[in-house]
Amino acid sequence: MTTPQLIWRNVWRNVWRNPRRTWLTVAATVFAVFLVVVFVAMADGMHGKMIEDAVRLSSGHVQVARDGWLENRTLEYSLRLSPELDAELRATPGVLGIAPRVSNAGLLSHGEATQGVLLLGVDPPREASVSSLSSRLWRGAFLPASVKRPLVLGAQLAENLKVGIGDQVLLYSIAYTLENAYELFEVSGTLRLPDRDLERGLALIRLDDAQHFFALGDRISEVALLAAHASEVPPLTASLETRLPLSGAEALEVNAWNEVMPELEQFIIIDDAGMYVLLLILVIVVGFGILNTILMSVLERQRELGVLLALGLRPAAIFRMVYAESLLLAAIGFAIGLLLALPVVAWFTAHPIPLSGAEMEAMAELVGMEPVVTFELRESTLPGVALTIFGVAALAALYPALKASRARPVDALRGL
Amino acid sequence: MLEARAVHKVYDSRGAETHALSDMSLRISEGEFTVLAGPSGSGKTTLLNLFGGLDEPTSGQIRLDDQDLAACTRSELAELRLRKLGFVFQAYNLIPVLTAVENVEFVMELQGVARAERRRRATGMLAELGLGELTSKRPLELSGGQQQRVAVARAIVSQPRVVLADEPTANLDSTTAGGLLDLMQTMNRERGVTFLFSTHDPMVIERAARVVRLRDGRVVADETATSL
Repeated sequence: MTTPQLIWRNVWRNVWRNPRRTWLTVAATVFAVFLVVVFVAMADGMHGKMIEDAVRLSSGHVQVARDGWLENRTLEYSLRLSPELDAELRATPGVLGIAPRVSNAGLLSHGEATQGVLLLGVDPPREASVSSLSSRLWRGAFLPASVKRPLVLGAQLAENLKVGIGDQVLLYSIAYTLENAYELFEVSGTLRLPDRDLERGLALIRLDDAQHFFALGDRISEVALLAAHASEVPPLTASLETRLPLSGAEALEVNAWNEVMPELEQFIIIDDAGMYVLLLILVIVVGFGILNTILMSVLERQRELGVLLALGLRPAAIFRMVYAESLLLAAIGFAIGLLLALPVVAWFTAHPIPLSGAEMEAMAELVGMEPVVTFELRESTLPGVALTIFGVAALAALYPALKASRARPVDALRGL
Repeated sequence: MLEARAVHKVYDSRGAETHALSDMSLRISEGEFTVLAGPSGSGKTTLLNLFGGLDEPTSGQIRLDDQDLAACTRSELAELRLRKLGFVFQAYNLIPVLTAVENVEFVMELQGVARAERRRRATGMLAELGLGELTSKRPLELSGGQQQRVAVARAIVSQPRVVLADEPTANLDSTTAGGLLDLMQTMNRERGVTFLFSTHDPMVIERAARVVRLRDGRVVADETATSL
């Protein structure tokens, strides 16, 4: 019988037999755990912010639309937001805001200048419950009721059209009835947006003006929904899919942010992949450090391992003992690494780092986010890091543990 | 109890064969106090290793309690050593990270003896061997003779059926060696523990009930006390 106490007592003392070597290995593990936790938290924070910024800027976390809307994006796939549907969406757990919209392409003309735009008809109070568009007003007013057919433009779009507050612009498009639609709108405000592409191409009008302009009656093109966090999107979409009609004449579709903005998800996946490859290389280097330490330790103790076998310790117990030494090294490194990393992550979570410099700002604009570095420690991060570190330590220990447990006692006693 | 049947042991070192044992047959009965005597290279340590299941013969059979050791798995051999055998190695071979008393307790710990009982037996045995003040010392803090006594204590404290001892008095002064042999003889007489030594030490040979003399891997004489 081999008691766990016997194994762990020997493991603990063996690990500290050569303290300098042990601390060097632990230091490498600490360094790896620190970097992995901090970098993963930073990447998750940045990606989370990208998603939240993008979601709050335009798409919402989830969109409900007529089946086929996402693929075609034409008014043919518009829907009627009935009071029953509106009530159902409001009653869905996890829905924090609901913004019905009409969106379509159009042309804006002023003087000699004409620009293609993404035209968004919004209900200002309900839109504010989902998107941050109204809070990004730079000049003027956000679709005020006092103006007849008000229009809010991205600041860059207004500059390109050479229009200011109070100017009239002509809006062209194709109506729901497939007839030409054109109307004069008055510029009531301009927006500054972190996504410069959007700032060059977004025009907002009131929802009722849009319905009238496109001859939609009471139809809309989509409903944007806000959840508390992107992580709550999967259960929310699952819930919506059970509550809403997904087949039949009035079939709807439920689109998560990553379906509406696949390019953002792809960017995050590629960014994550690059980071994880680098971190994996770092962890593998640590694995070789552990392998070296444990293998050296086993080779130095050949005679002693022979004695243990001769005294009646089973080969399997020798294997467990060497294995446990590796896991103990990993555990000490992991614990100290976490102790160092968590306060850093907590600090930067509370105090995001503002990016400065034209290049950093340009990069932030490229992905449509504010130029700040945010941190977020997700629930899955620490178990993931633990699994990786202990997995690598377990792999690293395999060869030394097998070598130790398979030794012939007589060879080990002779130090062979 | 212990039996070697037509055992050959050949070591192959880079193509050069060394015949450590040649057609060795020997039977050790329960309760014997036997010495393997002979010059260096005569095969004493090799035979002890084979009887202890630490090594395998090139040919022939090694049997313990009529069980062929070649038929045992590595785990079964470990269990046999744990339950039936006690070893005293030539080079003490204490576990350096354990104190003297922990070294002595080690086998009992593997056997599942309760903590208080094994501590009582280990400290008692160390006291009997004159090491009562050194129980908490680690091997590197002990002299060669003290380490040897701890090693002997470790081998006999778990009351194995057979003790295989390779030069157990090699590093001891004659008084300590005499005390150790007294203890072993008492265990042999009172508890029927079988002892098999390899030694050059005339004091051990004098006390043996049987002396098996080896030369070049063969038995050249097998003498009992009456014929000595």
